[in-house]
Amino acid sequence: MISVSALDGVLVIDLTGLSGAYCTKLLADLGADVIRVEPPGGDNLRRLGPFYKDDAHPDKSLLHFFLNTNKRAVTLNLKTEDGKNIFRRLAKRAQIIIETFSPGYLESLGLGYSSLKEINPSLIFTSITPFGQNGPYRDFKGSDIICWAMGGLMYLGGFSDRPPVQGYEYMAYKTGSMHASVATLIAFYHLDKTGEGQYIDVSVQECVAQAMENAAQYYDLEGVVRCRQGLRQLEAGAGIYPCKDGFVYMLVAMRGTLMRWDELVDWLIEERTPKADSLKDSKWKDKDWRQTEEARNKFYDIFTDFSKSHPKLELYEKAQAKGISLSPVSTIGDLFENPQLKARGFFQEIEHPELGVKLLYPGGPYVLEKTPWRIRRRAPLIGEHNTEIFHYELGIPKEDLGALMSAGVI
Amino acid sequence: MNLPLNGIRIADFTWVGAGPFVTKALADHGADVIKVESATRVDVIRMMHPFAGGTPGVNRSGYYSNRNSSKRSITLNLKNPMGLEVAKRLIAVSNVVADNFTTGTMEKLGLGYDTLKAIKPDIICLSMPMQGAHGPHSQYRGYGVTIGALSGFYNLIGYPDRDPVGTGTNFPDHVPNPTHACVAILAALIHHKRTGEGQFIELSQFESTMNLFGAALLDYSVNRREVTCLGNRLPYAAPHGVYPCLGNDRWVCITCFREKEWMALCDVMDKTHLAADSRFNSLTGRLKNMEELDEEISEWTSSKDPFEVMKLLQSCGIPAGVVEDSRDTLERDEQLAARKHWAYLEHPEMGRSVYDAPPYKLSRTPGYLRSYAPLLGEHTRQVCLEDLGMESREYERLEREGAFK
Repeated sequence: MISVSALDGVLVIDLTGLSGAYCTKLLADLGADVIRVEPPGGDNLRRLGPFYKDDAHPDKSLLHFFLNTNKRAVTLNLKTEDGKNIFRRLAKRAQIIIETFSPGYLESLGLGYSSLKEINPSLIFTSITPFGQNGPYRDFKGSDIICWAMGGLMYLGGFSDRPPVQGYEYMAYKTGSMHASVATLIAFYHLDKTGEGQYIDVSVQECVAQAMENAAQYYDLEGVVRCRQGLRQLEAGAGIYPCKDGFVYMLVAMRGTLMRWDELVDWLIEERTPKADSLKDSKWKDKDWRQTEEARNKFYDIFTDFSKSHPKLELYEKAQAKGISLSPVSTIGDLFENPQLKARGFFQEIEHPELGVKLLYPGGPYVLEKTPWRIRRRAPLIGEHNTEIFHYELGIPKEDLGALMSAGVI
Repeated sequence: MNLPLNGIRIADFTWVGAGPFVTKALADHGADVIKVESATRVDVIRMMHPFAGGTPGVNRSGYYSNRNSSKRSITLNLKNPMGLEVAKRLIAVSNVVADNFTTGTMEKLGLGYDTLKAIKPDIICLSMPMQGAHGPHSQYRGYGVTIGALSGFYNLIGYPDRDPVGTGTNFPDHVPNPTHACVAILAALIHHKRTGEGQFIELSQFESTMNLFGAALLDYSVNRREVTCLGNRLPYAAPHGVYPCLGNDRWVCITCFREKEWMALCDVMDKTHLAADSRFNSLTGRLKNMEELDEEISEWTSSKDPFEVMKLLQSCGIPAGVVEDSRDTLERDEQLAARKHWAYLEHPEMGRSVYDAPPYKLSRTPGYLRSYAPLLGEHTRQVCLEDLGMESREYERLEREGAFK
């Protein structure tokens, strides 16, 4: 059976770096034909680790492997006239272009939205930048941690005796990328309906700001500036607890509301946990008591007395059977042993013919019944599709490609 | 104004954290999102701080309001056969049905996908339970923060010498799960437009969240390396971190990815000797002597306002940014203000209060907050009469019989 993809036949030109490659991955994994346009020699993303067997080769970056599944790749020097002309020919055929250059850079090359819409009026052109295309910080230099900080999210995370702490694996940039995918697909839906293209301006800072949970409203409505707490527990029964082989995270109390507290106390008593019966006292139903340091410490000591002699998977399965919201704090290795992920066949083998191996990748973020998410091919090698795209699809004679290569255009 | 998703109606059964952010993005871009709520078992987030003026009330929570702009609210008692019947009539005139209940809940209510298909054959149905519809743990419960822990994400944030600390928020509820779900719904809408076909979308919040750190997963599956927290460092940039500033708990973030940025920083700090110092004159050296490096920078930043440091460094081409607290984002950040990121809407009970505007701007069809977050059941009568074609008498009969509780 031929499997249909939701974005079959959609051509996307991908000029993104670290702050946008996940956006185009989401489109590629749903069937779009995504062509990465990289400078000769390959882009910077390929130079970031981790690497396959720690071999720092631009065709072996695991970050690139993950972010660029299903994409094709060409090399093109956009600073040369020939490079620009070839790019325009590609852009004419595309429905979508997504880029992460500094504001104004592509315009300065004559390849910005205003020039390209002349040759392709229904084009969707998405720019992802740290701060957006206008405003006083437009030209500020950003990085992932700076976007996390200026979006107000960093201030909420970390220990109170240390500085606020960053995300992991470019979480701010991925936040921008995910929102950019949503924006691009909204515009694509509009294009399908009306034939109209448009320009999309994505600010990573704003995308991060939307993730402040309720901190903006806390200040606006109650005048409270939320800050990082980094406590072991926010109140008795809410937080991270050590166990035999790591940590678990439990929530039997959430912002003052109890959830399965009695079930937890009965369980601790069943397990003959010392002093567990003291948790039967009615004062534990009072959130003001549970939030005191004394209560937090008492609860912590009683619970960890029990948890420290049990592995996280056992605590997890037993607690969940009682309806208690407890999860392991999984390490990456734990995920490969997780019974649920195993039963669902989450991890998938993807072939890397030139390495002679199949590598285990995470599965998709969703399962679409009729138009499945899938990895059709591994991330492209540098310039892997130059001939396929430049010669077979754009019709540039093979002999010209040789000349373009020696001139450093491709 | 004509918005791109005008004409799409969503019967929205989502609640609490993650689901409502899915339908917010669609509602702000024109979809008619009808939130189906219970008047007896109120969405728990309606009763969470912060409240307007600090006074609790089902229509006063900013936690709820921000993620429910541009929607309408109806209350239905789905356990009452007549309430359920109204839900089915709503589904019959909807394009999308969304829920984030535990697996099996919609089936128990009598609203499983097969039933929905019988009512509306081309319906698009999004279900986003914590761990997917099948598998041994499919019934397990959790919240954003425990999904973060289970998925491995929590463990990656913090310092190598301490317990992991996470983001301090229910991050999976705010970014990966709603945005992934939105991408899936939009893809299904595009497919529907082309083929007339609906479909079922399953989003396991656990699996969706794991897609945030695919390289760390590959590093384990390929190299058997268990990655650990980095604090505020990166293996290929130094300085890269957060430095104390003047004031209580104020910080500025400074990152140098190029030698010339580091040299410029030494210049600005009036510490040009550091650029020549053998401990700091190469990336390798700076990475090795990070603590001393951080001390040198902290000594300079600690007497200055963080916004002042940011602007000074940026004017010299050095990437820097204030670690903004919520007050900064609302009152001091000139960029968010210039881009009108914050929208203030008048609300009948809350008065004027703040919402996130869409974090992206579409030039031709920009989304915007079309209305304040609905009062509980504010549109029950309107939806029944205007959208479901009910007569007033029928509405009143159903009301008497408890369908709208």
